[in-house]
Amino acid sequence: MLDTDRPQPKFMEPDIDKHMTIAIGNDHIVTDVKIKVSDHLKSLGYKVIDEGTHDFSRTHYPMFGKRVAEDVADGRADLGIVLCGTGIGISTAANKNEGIRAAMVGNVTQAKYAREELNANVLGFGGIVLGRDFIFDIVDAFLNAEYKPSAKNKALIEQIDSIAKPNPEQKDNEHFFDEENKKWAQGFYRD
Amino acid sequence: MKVVLGADQSGFELKEKIKKYLIDNGQDVIDVSQTPSKNFVESSLAVTKEVLDNGITKALMFDEYGVGSAMASNKVKGMVTANVNEERTAHMTAEHNGAKAIAIGAGIMGYRLAESIVADYLKTDYAAGRHQIRLDMLEKMI
Repeated sequence: MLDTDRPQPKFMEPDIDKHMTIAIGNDHIVTDVKIKVSDHLKSLGYKVIDEGTHDFSRTHYPMFGKRVAEDVADGRADLGIVLCGTGIGISTAANKNEGIRAAMVGNVTQAKYAREELNANVLGFGGIVLGRDFIFDIVDAFLNAEYKPSAKNKALIEQIDSIAKPNPEQKDNEHFFDEENKKWAQGFYRD
Repeated sequence: MKVVLGADQSGFELKEKIKKYLIDNGQDVIDVSQTPSKNFVESSLAVTKEVLDNGITKALMFDEYGVGSAMASNKVKGMVTANVNEERTAHMTAEHNGAKAIAIGAGIMGYRLAESIVADYLKTDYAAGRHQIRLDMLEKMI
């Protein structure tokens, strides 16, 4: 990866620099929580790519799950973190990408397990279901844990990775959801 | 309404208890793990196949952490599995994500919580409307 691929902040305090970039993404329900996570990460010495959404205007979580997943799959970020109200929608979206194992978790135990045993590369959780300090604990546990390779978990990971067929139409295609967004703009999706 | 159940070795005991609870409450169940599946990939994929082939809208996957079943089954096009740890998420994911399955970590939660989560998930309908665009997007993905 080129150094110029790494986004803000450009300079990191050398004492705390983790030499790691985390891509983060969210829906409009939890943008404030995402910003807290982002600041938390930066205070610990991680570089952050914030893939949005950046405000509280109604939008659709699969777009942001996909962007974070592609940052990780393409090597722009080392790991990804995604959140929506419950975490389910956006973590599912992130998981549906080539090269991604996204873990939806509700506690520290699952976050640690996901890294150590499944070598998960995206973490997902609920930004309104869980509170700030618990979220920070979950994030820290995920980032501080390391994959512990074993014959058993390697076989499981291989099995997981072989389930989905890669879709070249989807990967890195920023217009992948244009059709749905167009239908939305036309008022097709109504409550 | 039919409910599909599946479990690996770690989730088997809790699956059996929830299965009994469902049957006692008059629920029609399809158990794809009469004996424990080899691992959570196999149990969750067996549940997924049953769900997608037969247009079933509710299913339960049991393993040790819940994380693995959700991760594996969500790799199947068209599947949405929610790893659920409490009632709020069980309710919201049924209503907003139309979750076709929930995953439960038998090593994470006890029977009473699992029972309450399952009850909440099963009684909540998908709301569609504005949420459908997100599901259309998810179902378009791999």
